[in-house]
Amino acid sequence: MQARPILRPTINLTTDVEWINECFPTQGRHEHVSVYLIRSGEKYIIIDSGSYYHRESIRVRILAATSQSGPGAIILSHADYPHAGNVNTFRREWGEIDVIASSGVPELQGLPYAKKSRIGGSQDVFGRKFSFIDPPLADRSHTSWIYDHASGVLFTADGMGNYHRPGQCGLTFGEFPGGVPLTDIYDFHRNALVWLRYVDPARLRAKLEAIYSQFDISYIAPIHGNPIAVKDLEAFMDRLIETASRIADEYKVDT
Amino acid sequence: MAREFIPGIFWIQECGANLNDLASAMSQDSHNWYRARREVHIPQNAYLFVGEKSLLFDTLSPASSEQIIAELRHILGDRPLDYLVVSHTDTPHAGNTFKIQREYPQTRLVAPRYGDAHELYHLEDALKVGEGDVIDLGGFVLKFHEATFLDAPISVWMTEEKTRMLLPVDWIGMPHMDGECLKCVDELDAVVDVDRLLQFHGRVFFWLQYVNASKIIAEIDRINRHFNPSIIAPAHGLVIRQDASRYMNMMKTVVQVISDHGRIGVVG
Repeated sequence: MQARPILRPTINLTTDVEWINECFPTQGRHEHVSVYLIRSGEKYIIIDSGSYYHRESIRVRILAATSQSGPGAIILSHADYPHAGNVNTFRREWGEIDVIASSGVPELQGLPYAKKSRIGGSQDVFGRKFSFIDPPLADRSHTSWIYDHASGVLFTADGMGNYHRPGQCGLTFGEFPGGVPLTDIYDFHRNALVWLRYVDPARLRAKLEAIYSQFDISYIAPIHGNPIAVKDLEAFMDRLIETASRIADEYKVDT
Repeated sequence: MAREFIPGIFWIQECGANLNDLASAMSQDSHNWYRARREVHIPQNAYLFVGEKSLLFDTLSPASSEQIIAELRHILGDRPLDYLVVSHTDTPHAGNTFKIQREYPQTRLVAPRYGDAHELYHLEDALKVGEGDVIDLGGFVLKFHEATFLDAPISVWMTEEKTRMLLPVDWIGMPHMDGECLKCVDELDAVVDVDRLLQFHGRVFFWLQYVNASKIIAEIDRINRHFNPSIIAPAHGLVIRQDASRYMNMMKTVVQVISDHGRIGVVG
Protein backbone atom coordinates (compact mmCIF):
# COMPACT_ATOMS: atom_id res chain seq x y z
CA MET A 1 0.00 0.00 0.00
CA GLN A 2 1.31 3.46 -0.84
CA ALA A 3 0.76 6.70 1.00
CA ARG A 4 -1.87 8.95 -0.46
CA PRO A 5 0.00 11.66 -2.39
CA ILE A 6 -0.38 15.19 -1.14
CA LEU A 7 1.32 17.93 -3.13
CA ARG A 8 3.39 19.81 -0.64
CA PRO A 9 6.16 22.20 -1.63
CA THR A 10 9.74 21.19 -1.18
CA ILE A 11 11.68 22.91 1.58
CA ASN A 12 14.72 24.99 0.70
CA LEU A 13 17.81 24.25 2.73
CA THR A 14 20.09 26.36 0.53
CA THR A 15 19.45 28.27 -2.68
CA ASP A 16 19.88 25.12 -4.74
CA VAL A 17 19.20 22.22 -2.36
CA GLU A 18 15.62 21.30 -1.52
CA TRP A 19 14.31 18.80 0.96
CA ILE A 20 11.54 16.48 -0.19
CA ASN A 21 10.33 15.37 3.20
CA GLU A 22 8.24 12.23 3.38
CA CYS A 23 7.26 10.46 6.58
CA PHE A 24 6.37 6.97 7.67
CA PRO A 25 4.33 6.45 10.85
CA THR A 26 6.00 4.23 13.41
CA GLN A 27 4.67 3.57 16.90
CA GLY A 28 3.08 6.95 17.46
CA ARG A 29 5.88 8.95 15.92
CA HIS A 30 7.11 9.57 12.39
CA GLU A 31 10.30 8.57 10.63
CA HIS A 32 11.43 10.54 7.61
CA VAL A 33 12.18 8.70 4.40
CA SER A 34 13.41 11.72 2.50
CA VAL A 35 14.80 12.63 -0.89
CA TYR A 36 16.87 15.72 -1.61
CA LEU A 37 16.73 17.69 -4.84
CA ILE A 38 19.68 19.69 -6.13
CA ARG A 39 19.44 22.22 -8.93
CA SER A 40 22.54 22.56 -11.05
CA GLY A 41 21.90 25.11 -13.73
CA GLU A 42 19.07 23.77 -15.86
CA LYS A 43 19.49 20.22 -14.58
CA TYR A 44 18.43 18.44 -11.42
CA ILE A 45 19.98 15.77 -9.27
CA ILE A 46 18.23 13.80 -6.57
CA ILE A 47 19.96 12.24 -3.59
CA ASP A 48 18.29 8.84 -3.14
CA SER A 49 14.95 8.00 -4.70
CA GLY A 50 12.84 7.36 -1.62
CA SER A 51 10.56 4.48 -0.82
CA TYR A 52 7.91 2.91 -3.06
CA TYR A 53 5.57 3.79 -0.20
CA HIS A 54 5.88 7.50 -1.04
CA ARG A 55 6.43 7.03 -4.76
CA GLU A 56 3.56 9.07 -6.14
CA SER A 57 4.05 11.91 -3.67
CA ILE A 58 7.77 12.10 -4.41
CA ARG A 59 7.07 11.98 -8.10
CA VAL A 60 4.58 14.86 -8.15
CA ARG A 61 6.76 16.96 -5.87
CA ILE A 62 9.79 16.45 -8.08
CA LEU A 63 7.77 17.37 -11.15
CA ALA A 64 6.51 20.54 -9.49
CA ALA A 65 9.98 21.53 -8.32
CA THR A 66 11.67 20.85 -11.66
CA SER A 67 9.11 22.54 -13.90
CA GLN A 68 7.95 19.09 -15.00
CA SER A 69 11.36 18.05 -16.35
CA GLY A 70 12.35 15.57 -13.64
CA PRO A 71 15.89 14.77 -12.53
CA GLY A 72 18.76 13.99 -14.84
CA ALA A 73 20.73 12.07 -12.22
CA ILE A 74 20.17 10.05 -9.08
CA ILE A 75 22.99 9.71 -6.58
CA LEU A 76 22.33 6.84 -4.19
CA SER A 77 23.73 6.77 -0.69
CA HIS A 78 23.13 3.02 -0.72
CA ALA A 79 20.81 0.53 -2.33
CA ASP A 80 18.56 -0.27 0.62
CA TYR A 81 14.95 -0.37 -0.52
CA PRO A 82 13.69 2.83 1.19
CA HIS A 83 16.49 4.66 -0.62
CA ALA A 84 16.58 2.98 -4.02
CA GLY A 85 12.99 1.79 -4.25
CA ASN A 86 11.94 4.22 -6.97
CA VAL A 87 15.02 4.16 -9.19
CA ASN A 88 13.57 1.86 -11.83
CA THR A 89 10.23 3.64 -11.87
CA PHE A 90 11.86 7.04 -12.25
CA ARG A 91 14.10 5.75 -15.01
CA ARG A 92 11.07 4.48 -16.89
CA GLU A 93 9.31 7.81 -16.46
CA TRP A 94 12.16 10.22 -17.04
CA GLY A 95 14.32 8.31 -19.46
CA GLU A 96 18.03 7.78 -19.30
CA ILE A 97 18.78 9.14 -15.86
CA ASP A 98 22.35 8.70 -14.68
CA VAL A 99 22.37 6.55 -11.56
CA ILE A 100 25.46 6.87 -9.43
CA ALA A 101 25.78 4.21 -6.74
CA SER A 102 28.44 3.50 -4.18
CA SER A 103 27.96 -0.23 -4.33
CA GLY A 104 31.12 -1.94 -5.44
CA VAL A 105 29.07 -4.45 -7.43
CA PRO A 106 25.89 -2.65 -8.54
CA GLU A 107 24.38 -5.65 -10.30
CA LEU A 108 24.12 -7.44 -6.95
CA GLN A 109 21.96 -4.56 -5.77
CA GLY A 110 19.69 -4.80 -8.79
CA LEU A 111 21.36 -1.75 -10.36
CA PRO A 112 23.31 -3.15 -13.33
CA TYR A 113 23.14 0.18 -15.16
CA ALA A 114 24.57 2.24 -12.28
CA LYS A 115 27.85 4.08 -12.51
CA LYS A 116 30.04 3.31 -9.54
CA SER A 117 31.16 6.00 -7.20
CA ARG A 118 34.12 5.23 -5.00
CA ILE A 119 34.01 5.67 -1.26
CA GLY A 120 36.81 8.12 -0.60
CA GLY A 121 36.63 9.56 -4.10
CA SER A 122 34.89 12.40 -5.89
CA GLN A 123 32.81 12.72 -9.01
CA ASP A 124 31.48 15.53 -11.15
CA VAL A 125 27.76 15.46 -11.88
CA PHE A 126 26.35 18.20 -14.10
CA GLY A 127 29.23 20.46 -13.20
CA ARG A 128 28.98 19.91 -9.45
CA LYS A 129 31.61 18.11 -7.47
CA PHE A 130 30.43 15.44 -5.06
CA SER A 131 32.67 13.64 -2.61
CA PHE A 132 31.82 10.21 -1.27
CA ILE A 133 32.77 9.76 2.36
CA ASP A 134 33.34 6.56 4.32
CA PRO A 135 30.48 6.92 6.81
CA PRO A 136 30.91 6.43 10.55
CA LEU A 137 27.18 5.99 10.99
CA ALA A 138 25.60 3.58 8.54
CA ASP A 139 24.19 0.11 8.34
CA ARG A 140 25.14 -1.21 4.88
CA SER A 141 28.82 -1.58 4.04
CA HIS A 142 28.46 0.04 0.64
CA THR A 143 26.92 3.21 2.03
CA SER A 144 28.60 6.51 1.35
CA TRP A 145 27.88 9.90 2.77
CA ILE A 146 27.67 12.41 -0.06
CA TYR A 147 29.09 15.92 0.15
CA ASP A 148 27.97 18.54 -2.35
CA HIS A 149 30.88 20.97 -2.58
CA ALA A 150 28.82 23.76 -4.13
CA SER A 151 26.23 23.97 -1.35
CA GLY A 152 28.17 22.48 1.56
CA VAL A 153 25.36 20.03 2.27
CA LEU A 154 26.44 16.67 3.66
CA PHE A 155 23.90 13.93 2.94
CA THR A 156 24.27 11.37 5.71
CA ALA A 157 22.03 8.51 4.60
CA ASP A 158 20.93 6.50 7.67
CA GLY A 159 23.14 8.40 10.10
CA MET A 160 22.36 11.55 12.10
CA GLY A 161 18.64 10.77 12.06
CA ASN A 162 15.79 11.00 14.52
CA TYR A 163 12.13 10.26 15.00
CA HIS A 164 9.71 13.18 15.16
CA ARG A 165 6.09 13.85 15.92
CA PRO A 166 3.21 14.85 13.63
CA GLY A 167 3.49 18.54 12.90
CA GLN A 168 7.28 18.46 13.00
CA CYS A 169 7.73 16.90 9.57
CA GLY A 170 8.98 20.08 7.86
CA LEU A 171 11.17 21.51 10.60
CA THR A 172 14.92 21.67 10.68
CA PHE A 173 16.67 20.77 13.93
CA GLY A 174 16.96 24.42 14.96
CA GLU A 175 13.26 25.05 14.43
CA PHE A 176 12.35 22.70 17.26
CA PRO A 177 12.11 24.57 20.58
CA GLY A 178 15.39 23.49 22.13
CA GLY A 179 16.27 21.27 19.17
CA VAL A 180 15.23 17.70 18.46
CA PRO A 181 14.79 15.94 21.80
CA LEU A 182 17.50 13.54 22.85
CA THR A 183 15.02 10.72 23.21
CA ASP A 184 14.05 10.92 19.53
CA ILE A 185 17.70 10.82 18.46
CA TYR A 186 18.44 8.00 20.89
CA ASP A 187 15.47 5.84 19.93
CA PHE A 188 16.21 6.21 16.23
CA HIS A 189 19.86 5.26 16.46
CA ARG A 190 19.24 2.41 18.88
CA ASN A 191 16.69 0.93 16.50
CA ALA A 192 18.37 1.66 13.18
CA LEU A 193 22.07 1.11 13.94
CA VAL A 194 22.11 -1.91 16.21
CA TRP A 195 25.93 -2.13 16.12
CA LEU A 196 26.08 1.01 18.25
CA ARG A 197 25.72 -1.32 21.25
CA TYR A 198 29.45 -1.98 20.77
CA VAL A 199 30.53 1.55 19.88
CA ASP A 200 33.38 3.46 21.46
CA PRO A 201 31.83 6.97 21.56
CA ALA A 202 35.21 8.69 21.53
CA ARG A 203 36.16 6.99 18.26
CA LEU A 204 32.83 7.94 16.74
CA ARG A 205 33.22 11.56 17.77
CA ALA A 206 36.78 11.70 16.46
CA LYS A 207 35.73 10.40 13.05
CA LEU A 208 32.82 12.82 12.80
CA GLU A 209 34.97 15.78 13.80
CA ALA A 210 37.56 14.77 11.21
CA ILE A 211 34.84 14.92 8.57
CA TYR A 212 33.67 18.32 9.78
CA SER A 213 37.26 19.59 9.63
CA GLN A 214 37.77 18.34 6.11
CA PHE A 215 34.50 19.53 4.59
CA ASP A 216 32.96 23.00 4.91
CA ILE A 217 29.47 22.03 5.94
CA SER A 218 26.35 24.18 5.68
CA TYR A 219 23.78 21.51 6.48
CA ILE A 220 23.64 17.91 7.60
CA ALA A 221 20.89 16.27 5.55
CA PRO A 222 19.87 12.84 6.82
CA ILE A 223 17.40 10.63 5.01
CA HIS A 224 15.72 9.64 8.27
CA GLY A 225 15.80 12.85 10.23
CA ASN A 226 15.30 16.60 10.36
CA PRO A 227 18.13 18.49 8.62
CA ILE A 228 20.67 20.20 10.84
CA ALA A 229 22.09 23.63 9.99
CA VAL A 230 25.75 23.99 10.85
CA LYS A 231 24.92 26.52 13.58
CA ASP A 232 23.02 23.74 15.38
CA LEU A 233 25.56 20.99 14.76
CA GLU A 234 27.24 21.26 18.14
CA ALA A 235 23.93 20.87 19.94
CA PHE A 236 23.09 17.84 17.81
CA MET A 237 26.54 16.32 18.32
CA ASP A 238 26.21 16.55 22.10
CA ARG A 239 22.97 14.58 21.88
CA LEU A 240 24.38 12.14 19.35
CA ILE A 241 27.41 11.29 21.47
CA GLU A 242 25.24 10.96 24.55
CA THR A 243 23.02 8.67 22.50
CA ALA A 244 25.97 6.53 21.51
CA SER A 245 27.23 6.37 25.08
CA ARG A 246 23.82 5.34 26.42
CA ILE A 247 23.30 2.67 23.79
CA ALA A 248 26.74 1.20 24.47
CA ASP A 249 26.41 1.41 28.25
CA GLU A 250 22.99 -0.20 28.28
CA TYR A 251 24.06 -3.28 26.34
CA LYS A 252 25.84 -5.88 28.42
CA VAL A 253 27.28 -9.01 26.88
CA ASP A 254 25.96 -12.06 28.69
CA THR A 255 29.05 -13.72 30.09
CA MET B 1 25.60 -23.84 -8.84
CA ALA B 2 24.23 -26.08 -6.10
CA ARG B 3 25.58 -28.87 -3.94
CA GLU B 4 23.84 -31.27 -1.59
CA PHE B 5 26.52 -31.11 1.06
CA ILE B 6 24.43 -32.88 3.66
CA PRO B 7 21.58 -35.22 2.66
CA GLY B 8 18.59 -32.96 2.22
CA ILE B 9 20.51 -29.68 2.59
CA PHE B 10 21.45 -27.89 -0.61
CA TRP B 11 24.01 -25.10 -0.83
CA ILE B 12 23.15 -22.77 -3.72
CA GLN B 13 25.99 -20.40 -4.48
CA GLU B 14 26.27 -17.27 -6.59
CA CYS B 15 29.97 -16.67 -7.10
CA GLY B 16 29.70 -13.65 -9.35
CA ALA B 17 32.44 -12.10 -11.40
CA ASN B 18 36.05 -11.76 -10.41
CA LEU B 19 36.54 -8.93 -7.93
CA ASN B 20 39.39 -7.32 -9.85
CA ASP B 21 40.34 -4.76 -7.22
CA LEU B 22 40.45 -7.38 -4.49
CA ALA B 23 42.43 -9.81 -6.65
CA SER B 24 44.86 -7.04 -7.50
CA ALA B 25 45.26 -6.14 -3.84
CA MET B 26 45.94 -9.77 -2.97
CA SER B 27 48.58 -9.95 -5.68
CA GLN B 28 50.50 -6.98 -4.33
CA ASP B 29 51.25 -8.37 -0.89
CA SER B 30 51.87 -11.78 0.57
CA HIS B 31 48.67 -13.57 1.56
CA ASN B 32 49.07 -17.18 2.56
CA TRP B 33 45.66 -18.18 1.25
CA TYR B 34 45.93 -16.52 -2.16
CA ARG B 35 47.55 -17.99 -5.27
CA ALA B 36 48.88 -15.63 -7.92
CA ARG B 37 46.65 -14.68 -10.86
CA ARG B 38 43.64 -16.49 -9.44
CA GLU B 39 40.22 -14.88 -9.48
CA VAL B 40 38.68 -13.75 -6.21
CA HIS B 41 34.98 -14.14 -5.43
CA ILE B 42 32.82 -13.15 -2.52
CA PRO B 43 29.69 -15.21 -2.97
CA GLN B 44 26.05 -14.95 -2.07
CA ASN B 45 24.74 -18.23 -0.64
CA ALA B 46 21.23 -19.54 -0.25
CA TYR B 47 20.47 -22.78 1.58
CA LEU B 48 17.58 -25.10 0.75
CA PHE B 49 16.41 -27.58 3.37
CA VAL B 50 14.30 -30.43 2.02
CA GLY B 51 12.63 -32.66 4.59
CA GLU B 52 8.96 -33.55 4.53
CA LYS B 53 8.59 -29.84 3.86
CA SER B 54 11.05 -27.45 2.27
CA LEU B 55 12.57 -24.13 3.31
CA LEU B 56 14.82 -21.75 1.39
CA PHE B 57 17.03 -19.39 3.41
CA ASP B 58 17.81 -16.28 1.36
CA THR B 59 17.36 -15.78 -2.38
CA LEU B 60 20.70 -14.80 -4.00
CA SER B 61 20.96 -11.41 -5.71
CA PRO B 62 18.95 -10.11 -8.70
CA ALA B 63 21.98 -10.85 -10.87
CA SER B 64 21.22 -14.56 -10.37
CA SER B 65 17.44 -14.62 -10.62
CA GLU B 66 17.41 -17.25 -13.33
CA GLN B 67 19.93 -19.37 -11.45
CA ILE B 68 17.97 -19.58 -8.22
CA ILE B 69 14.73 -20.42 -10.01
CA ALA B 70 16.47 -23.07 -12.13
CA GLU B 71 18.09 -24.65 -9.08
CA LEU B 72 14.81 -24.72 -7.17
CA ARG B 73 13.02 -26.34 -10.11
CA HIS B 74 15.77 -28.92 -10.45
CA ILE B 75 15.94 -29.80 -6.77
CA LEU B 76 12.26 -29.62 -5.86
CA GLY B 77 10.79 -30.95 -9.11
CA ASP B 78 7.03 -30.99 -8.62
CA ARG B 79 7.29 -30.35 -4.88
CA PRO B 80 6.26 -27.01 -3.48
CA LEU B 81 8.57 -24.60 -1.72
CA ASP B 82 6.88 -24.43 1.66
CA TYR B 83 8.84 -21.60 3.29
CA LEU B 84 10.95 -18.74 2.01
CA VAL B 85 13.01 -17.03 4.70
CA VAL B 86 14.70 -13.70 4.10
CA SER B 87 17.48 -13.29 6.64
CA HIS B 88 17.43 -9.53 6.17
CA THR B 89 16.29 -6.99 3.65
CA ASP B 90 19.53 -6.47 1.74
CA THR B 91 19.07 -6.96 -1.99
CA PRO B 92 21.79 -9.63 -2.34
CA HIS B 93 19.83 -11.69 0.20
CA ALA B 94 16.21 -10.82 -0.50
CA GLY B 95 16.32 -9.48 -4.05
CA ASN B 96 14.62 -12.47 -5.68
CA THR B 97 11.78 -12.73 -3.19
CA PHE B 98 9.10 -11.60 -5.62
CA LYS B 99 10.35 -13.87 -8.42
CA ILE B 100 10.40 -16.89 -6.13
CA GLN B 101 6.94 -16.08 -4.83
CA ARG B 102 5.65 -15.93 -8.41
CA GLU B 103 7.26 -19.30 -9.16
CA TYR B 104 5.93 -20.81 -5.93
CA PRO B 105 2.76 -18.87 -5.12
CA GLN B 106 1.92 -21.07 -2.13
CA THR B 107 5.21 -20.46 -0.36
CA ARG B 108 4.97 -18.86 3.08
CA LEU B 109 7.20 -15.82 3.32
CA VAL B 110 9.12 -15.69 6.60
CA ALA B 111 10.85 -12.53 7.81
CA PRO B 112 12.63 -11.34 10.94
CA ARG B 113 10.36 -9.82 13.56
CA TYR B 114 13.13 -7.45 14.65
CA GLY B 115 13.32 -3.87 13.46
CA ASP B 116 10.35 -1.91 12.26
CA ALA B 117 8.86 -0.43 9.09
CA HIS B 118 8.38 -3.87 7.59
CA GLU B 119 5.88 -2.29 5.20
CA LEU B 120 8.69 -0.39 3.53
CA TYR B 121 10.11 -3.77 2.47
CA HIS B 122 6.81 -5.45 1.52
CA LEU B 123 7.18 -7.71 4.55
CA GLU B 124 4.05 -6.69 6.46
CA ASP B 125 2.27 -9.96 5.70
CA ALA B 126 5.24 -12.26 6.26
CA LEU B 127 5.36 -14.72 9.12
CA LYS B 128 7.57 -12.90 11.64
CA VAL B 129 10.11 -14.99 13.47
CA GLY B 130 12.71 -14.43 16.14
CA GLU B 131 14.35 -15.94 19.18
CA GLY B 132 12.43 -19.02 20.25
CA ASP B 133 10.50 -19.55 17.02
CA VAL B 134 10.77 -22.90 15.29
CA ILE B 135 9.83 -24.35 11.92
CA ASP B 136 9.81 -28.16 11.85
CA LEU B 137 10.19 -29.46 8.32
CA GLY B 138 10.04 -33.11 9.34
CA GLY B 139 13.65 -34.20 9.15
CA PHE B 140 15.05 -30.76 9.90
CA VAL B 141 14.20 -28.38 12.74
CA LEU B 142 14.99 -24.76 12.03
CA LYS B 143 15.27 -22.36 14.94
CA PHE B 144 15.46 -18.61 14.66
CA HIS B 145 17.64 -16.26 16.67
CA GLU B 146 18.17 -12.57 17.17
CA ALA B 147 21.11 -11.70 14.92
CA THR B 148 24.20 -10.75 16.89
CA PHE B 149 26.32 -9.00 14.27
CA LEU B 150 24.13 -7.39 11.66
CA ASP B 151 23.70 -4.44 9.33
CA ALA B 152 19.96 -4.15 8.75
CA PRO B 153 17.83 -4.02 11.92
CA ILE B 154 15.33 -6.37 10.25
CA SER B 155 17.64 -9.39 10.58
CA VAL B 156 17.61 -12.93 11.89
CA TRP B 157 20.04 -15.80 12.28
CA MET B 158 19.00 -19.45 11.99
CA THR B 159 20.18 -22.81 13.27
CA GLU B 160 19.34 -26.37 12.28
CA GLU B 161 19.01 -28.63 15.29
CA LYS B 162 19.92 -32.06 13.91
CA THR B 163 23.13 -30.96 12.19
CA ARG B 164 23.99 -28.24 14.75
CA MET B 165 24.33 -25.86 11.86
CA LEU B 166 24.55 -22.13 12.42
CA LEU B 167 23.59 -19.72 9.62
CA PRO B 168 25.10 -16.43 10.85
CA VAL B 169 24.29 -14.62 7.61
CA ASP B 170 26.92 -11.94 6.98
CA TRP B 171 29.22 -13.03 9.82
CA ILE B 172 32.15 -15.33 9.05
CA GLY B 173 32.20 -14.47 5.38
CA MET B 174 35.35 -14.89 3.35
CA PRO B 175 36.60 -14.57 -0.21
CA HIS B 176 37.48 -17.64 -2.23
CA MET B 177 39.47 -18.25 -5.39
CA ASP B 178 38.22 -19.71 -8.65
CA GLY B 179 38.27 -23.45 -8.22
CA GLU B 180 37.11 -23.17 -4.62
CA CYS B 181 33.44 -22.46 -5.40
CA LEU B 182 31.08 -24.73 -3.46
CA LYS B 183 33.96 -26.37 -1.59
CA CYS B 184 33.80 -26.72 2.14
CA VAL B 185 36.71 -25.25 4.05
CA ASP B 186 38.09 -28.70 4.92
CA GLU B 187 38.30 -29.52 1.20
CA LEU B 188 40.51 -26.58 0.30
CA ASP B 189 44.17 -26.76 -0.62
CA ALA B 190 44.66 -23.19 0.60
CA VAL B 191 44.19 -22.09 4.19
CA VAL B 192 41.34 -20.18 5.72
CA ASP B 193 43.29 -18.03 8.10
CA VAL B 194 42.80 -14.76 9.93
CA ASP B 195 43.89 -12.84 6.84
CA ARG B 196 41.29 -14.46 4.59
CA LEU B 197 38.56 -13.64 7.10
CA LEU B 198 39.96 -10.13 7.48
CA GLN B 199 39.70 -9.49 3.74
CA PHE B 200 35.94 -9.86 4.04
CA HIS B 201 35.16 -8.37 7.43
CA GLY B 202 37.63 -5.53 7.01
CA ARG B 203 35.67 -4.39 3.98
CA VAL B 204 32.10 -5.26 4.92
CA PHE B 205 31.94 -4.85 8.70
CA PHE B 206 33.22 -1.29 8.43
CA TRP B 207 31.75 -0.39 11.83
CA LEU B 208 34.25 -2.60 13.61
CA GLN B 209 36.68 0.33 13.35
CA TYR B 210 34.51 2.31 15.78
CA VAL B 211 33.90 -0.29 18.47
CA ASN B 212 35.16 -1.42 21.82
CA ALA B 213 36.93 -4.52 20.55
CA SER B 214 36.90 -6.31 23.90
CA LYS B 215 33.12 -6.15 23.96
CA ILE B 216 32.89 -7.73 20.52
CA ILE B 217 35.37 -10.42 21.58
CA ALA B 218 33.26 -11.19 24.62
CA GLU B 219 30.24 -11.43 22.34
CA ILE B 220 32.07 -13.92 20.10
CA ASP B 221 32.77 -16.05 23.15
CA ARG B 222 29.10 -15.88 24.06
CA ILE B 223 27.82 -16.98 20.66
CA ASN B 224 30.45 -19.71 20.51
CA ARG B 225 29.19 -21.05 23.86
CA HIS B 226 25.54 -20.50 23.09
CA PHE B 227 25.40 -22.05 19.64
CA ASN B 228 28.42 -24.40 19.84
CA PRO B 229 27.97 -25.13 16.14
CA SER B 230 29.33 -28.14 14.32
CA ILE B 231 28.73 -26.48 10.99
CA ILE B 232 28.80 -22.82 9.98
CA ALA B 233 26.93 -21.97 6.77
CA PRO B 234 27.61 -18.31 6.04
CA ALA B 235 25.93 -16.09 3.48
CA HIS B 236 29.18 -14.81 1.99
CA GLY B 237 31.71 -17.58 2.45
CA LEU B 238 32.47 -21.27 2.32
CA VAL B 239 30.80 -23.80 4.57
CA ILE B 240 32.77 -24.76 7.67
CA ARG B 241 31.97 -28.30 8.80
CA GLN B 242 35.02 -29.15 10.90
CA ASP B 243 36.46 -27.38 13.91
CA ALA B 244 33.93 -24.55 13.72
CA SER B 245 34.96 -23.04 17.04
CA ARG B 246 38.49 -22.50 15.74
CA TYR B 247 37.18 -20.18 13.04
CA MET B 248 34.91 -18.43 15.52
CA ASN B 249 37.98 -17.79 17.68
CA MET B 250 39.92 -16.48 14.67
CA MET B 251 37.30 -13.80 14.40
CA LYS B 252 38.54 -12.32 17.67
CA THR B 253 41.86 -11.52 16.02
CA VAL B 254 40.06 -10.21 12.94
CA VAL B 255 38.04 -7.83 15.08
CA GLN B 256 41.12 -6.64 16.96
CA VAL B 257 42.99 -5.93 13.72
CA ILE B 258 40.12 -3.88 12.29
CA SER B 259 39.69 -2.03 15.57
CA ASP B 260 43.41 -1.24 15.65
CA HIS B 261 43.98 -0.41 11.99
CA GLY B 262 40.62 0.57 10.55
CA ARG B 263 38.68 -0.51 7.52
CA ILE B 264 40.96 -2.12 4.94
CA GLY B 265 38.87 -1.31 1.89
CA VAL B 266 35.58 -1.91 0.15
CA VAL B 267 34.18 -4.74 -1.92
CA GLY B 268 34.38 -4.12 -5.64
